[in-house]
Amino acid sequence: MSAGGAGMSAGGAGMSAGGAGMSAGGAGIGAGEPDELLRIEGLEVHFPIRRSALDILPGRHPGVVRAVDGIDLTIRRGEVLALVGESGSGKTTTGRVVVKLTAPTGGRVVFDGQDVTDLRGGAALRTYRQRVQLIFQDPYETLNPKQSIGDFVAEPLDVNGLAPAPDDRRRRVLAALDAAGLRPAEDFARRYPHELSGGQRQRVVIAGALVMGPELVVADEPVSMLDVSIRTELLRLMLDLRAERGLTYLFITHDLALAWVLADRIAVMYLGRIMEIGPAERVIEDPHNPYTRALVSVSPTTTPPAAGERAQRTILVGETPDAAHVPSGCRFHPRCPLVFDRCRTESPPLFDVGAGQAAACWLAEGGRSLPLMPTTAAAGVAAAAPSPEAPGVAAS
Amino acid sequence: MTAAGASWSPPIPAGRRVGRFDLLVRLVRRPEGAFGVLILAIFAALALAPDFFVGPLQTAVTAHGTRLSPPSAAFPLGTDELRRDMLNLTVHGARVSMAIGLLATLVTVFIGAVVGIVSGFVGGRVDAVLMRITDFFLVIPTFVLALILTPIIRDLVGSGSTEILGIRMTLIVIVIVIGITSWSSSARIIRSQTLSLKERAFVDRARVIGAGSGHIMRRHILPNVINLIVANSVLVFAGAVLTETTLSFVGLGDPFQPSWGQLLEAARSVGAPGLGAWWYFVPPGVCIVLVVFAFTLVGGALDDLLNPKRRGRA
Amino acid sequence: MTAAVPRPDRPPRALPRLAVAGAPLLEVDDLKTHFRLAGEVVRAVDGVSFRLDAGEALGIAGESGCGKTTTALSLVRLLPANASIVGGSIRLHGIDLATKSDTAIRRYRWREISIVFQGAMNALNPVARVRDQIAEPIVERLGVDARTARRRAGELLELVGIPRARGSAYPHELSGGMRQRAMIAMALACDPAIVIGDEPTTALDVMVQAQILDLLERLRERLGLSLILITHDLSVIAETCDRVLIMYAGRVAEEGPVAQVFTRPRHPYTQKLLAAFPNIQADRRTLDVIPGTPPDLRTPPPGCRFAPRCPLAMAVCSEVVPPEVTFADRVRVACHLYSEGSSGEPVLVPAAATVGRA
Repeated sequence: MSAGGAGMSAGGAGMSAGGAGMSAGGAGIGAGEPDELLRIEGLEVHFPIRRSALDILPGRHPGVVRAVDGIDLTIRRGEVLALVGESGSGKTTTGRVVVKLTAPTGGRVVFDGQDVTDLRGGAALRTYRQRVQLIFQDPYETLNPKQSIGDFVAEPLDVNGLAPAPDDRRRRVLAALDAAGLRPAEDFARRYPHELSGGQRQRVVIAGALVMGPELVVADEPVSMLDVSIRTELLRLMLDLRAERGLTYLFITHDLALAWVLADRIAVMYLGRIMEIGPAERVIEDPHNPYTRALVSVSPTTTPPAAGERAQRTILVGETPDAAHVPSGCRFHPRCPLVFDRCRTESPPLFDVGAGQAAACWLAEGGRSLPLMPTTAAAGVAAAAPSPEAPGVAAS
Repeated sequence: MTAAGASWSPPIPAGRRVGRFDLLVRLVRRPEGAFGVLILAIFAALALAPDFFVGPLQTAVTAHGTRLSPPSAAFPLGTDELRRDMLNLTVHGARVSMAIGLLATLVTVFIGAVVGIVSGFVGGRVDAVLMRITDFFLVIPTFVLALILTPIIRDLVGSGSTEILGIRMTLIVIVIVIGITSWSSSARIIRSQTLSLKERAFVDRARVIGAGSGHIMRRHILPNVINLIVANSVLVFAGAVLTETTLSFVGLGDPFQPSWGQLLEAARSVGAPGLGAWWYFVPPGVCIVLVVFAFTLVGGALDDLLNPKRRGRA
Repeated sequence: MTAAVPRPDRPPRALPRLAVAGAPLLEVDDLKTHFRLAGEVVRAVDGVSFRLDAGEALGIAGESGCGKTTTALSLVRLLPANASIVGGSIRLHGIDLATKSDTAIRRYRWREISIVFQGAMNALNPVARVRDQIAEPIVERLGVDARTARRRAGELLELVGIPRARGSAYPHELSGGMRQRAMIAMALACDPAIVIGDEPTTALDVMVQAQILDLLERLRERLGLSLILITHDLSVIAETCDRVLIMYAGRVAEEGPVAQVFTRPRHPYTQKLLAAFPNIQADRRTLDVIPGTPPDLRTPPPGCRFAPRCPLAMAVCSEVVPPEVTFADRVRVACHLYSEGSSGEPVLVPAAATVGRA
């Protein structure tokens, strides 16, 4: 089984204490850093909304769903970058673009120094797919019920003509199953998905992603459908594999707490844009974007609030608007507790706030910190009852 | 008020090994499934080896009964106007009717599956064009089209005495015609299933590893529509038998290789109903009804069994 | 959160006719619910006891297959056809619901105790307007005319934070969070004393989840509602519940005030479960691994069901079912490490293999 050739592990047993802020003073979006594996520039993914003839005839323009609306991202070799966001943030679409399941409508993707944005068919695409793979979210859906485990894991090899000799094919399949913790591998190779538990199925998915020896693995909510006690094992497996094979992860999740445990750097997305990016501890402990701060305050914790008090959460009003009706200016402004005039008309770029952290917020300009935000426990009185719709936001 | 736990199911331990014939076993467990399979098994036996049961097909030359005699010890189902044993004719009719039904089903389902899968998976303009063609064939009454096409294709093919699988060319033409006129509903059904399969994660996964459309259709779509195809085939078979019967009844059959429909036609032209010779048309009629009924029972039971909501139940 | 004394802005609810004076609101004693599956018996709930007082919020936590949803469905007697309560009692105001017939139970279901189902968002009827679906139980159960029911449905919508005008929408026109609010409104339709939420926030965005939990909290205060929240997500319980019941393989592992159980867990499973949960407020950034899998409930292991996976298992654990022992801080534990009369000091489970950064 060929390991990820050029990749280098970021030191130690995959538990390096922050591989943070490697670029001196850069906001994590530096151009062409030496250890950069993947760079996304100005990525846009817009889906046209198909209207019926009744809408087109009067001359109404069909809308556009701006799933990803201009993001810049760099992933360094050996790191775990967590892309965090709620539904509608564009994080899954970004992942799909990286593995070429979805084509971008704008922007560039550069992998290992080469522009791979428009790869179509042929050897170049095949090589790309061998080096960049995806771990899917749903272990119950990713496996074809009619396909044996062995065939599933071998399929990447078969489709790309990588192991024509049956012995070689078998050897690589068994090695992948073994690396994913499914032992005895021969026994598992013969089984079918319905005979396996959720955790085992997800290991099969991981084996299938590894068999071609990729360097960059996009993991799209890889444990969200598994039980808590199984999750930890799978995550440990993923990190062990990173250490052994020098893998790099783009870890897509809605769970900020999970990102905090696993990631070197965290990027927070909202409605198609990156709101904040930086080393995990900095983003969680000192967020410079109000959305990030609100998200941190409501993220899972098993520490109960102190006796007689309620937890200090900033519960935003309303829900994320749909990506066909992106608000003007800063797209978060209708729900932002710290909104002011400029936010409604101008969209802020990512401002460097030091230590490798950057936030897209006018309040962060010049590296300033955020003022206090209202929480539910403010002055011991429950904050204004949140209504489900804020003005100007389409409730979908 | 909705039912409890709409999306929750009780804790089922990881599944048991599923044998090849699991579907068949589950089918036979249900009373209607067992009954249908039994009937079809009987007729299949008759159709596969009619000579074994009643000897070779009697002709006007080899017949040795009296004309239009009612059932007796020697001739349990009486005789026809050519003095042939009705039992002999009926059993051989099984072979002809079932063989035509089978061949027609194969043609129908093959065309329907190819069109359905390709159309559903590839989508876009290919889908639009194929679906308009399908709609065309769906809309035209099957039987009328068959009636028109049969003599035309017979002329094209010529009438010789070549046989395919022991079936004469005149009847093979009927197979082709049934195929041409019936594939469209199969295509629609299979396309539906393909459309929903196309969105499933395992198809995405196949794309991510670099599989092309052909590979995905063969290795991922097809194995997951096979069950649907089988269930659909059963009902197509029933329809094919009925269509062939009707075509023969209006005179497009082959008197040298009488199917049940052909026997009914012969009975009618001799005036058997008026003469009270019930043994001429009742046996073939009953056989047709039984076979179609059995197919419908099995098809219905398969439909139930293959319903994905039934996970975890017997 | 300490048990809130309910100060609702409403008159106290009338008790059912058969209520026993002075009985606790809900008392479940040694409940056993078994499934028949392909000829075998699955002992999904096998001896669960707990109590719920007026105005309390109790969380039932555990992983999938532990029996928590089955417990919830047993309480409202909405079990699937192949399941049945085979033992124990469910006393609501002293009235045993477990022994009532299917017709008799209708008096209590939805009027005293109601449930917001798992996957509630997909349990709404797609071809009926939301307001009508909320009005339906009011008409059926309370015998009220349609017009009054619709008006009340409008009030309920406002109560859960949906503008009255949106009541004429169909479910697909509402967002996920709004649909969940609608399901809560439906559960409140007949003014029950107890609302059970079965995974009420699963599949919702974390911000919407916070909104829903905040809503449940305010409803609890305003209506004097008692809540039972069933979830695998410990953070939901930490935020919203007064007490927690930790279930494992159909039995109770530990039960007590959230503040106690979550900060000083005693049962090894509780400790491992808490350690396996990411906690954004904790200092540590590691997650513990719990090796092994839950047992097959057709053939559960004798003795303590967690013994095969327990790092502190002793010989007695795989032979004798551990008795339940209650300590001074009102925590109840079923574990041989804690016997009657012992100090109750938590025995710490050694940290196993972890993932994350120390």
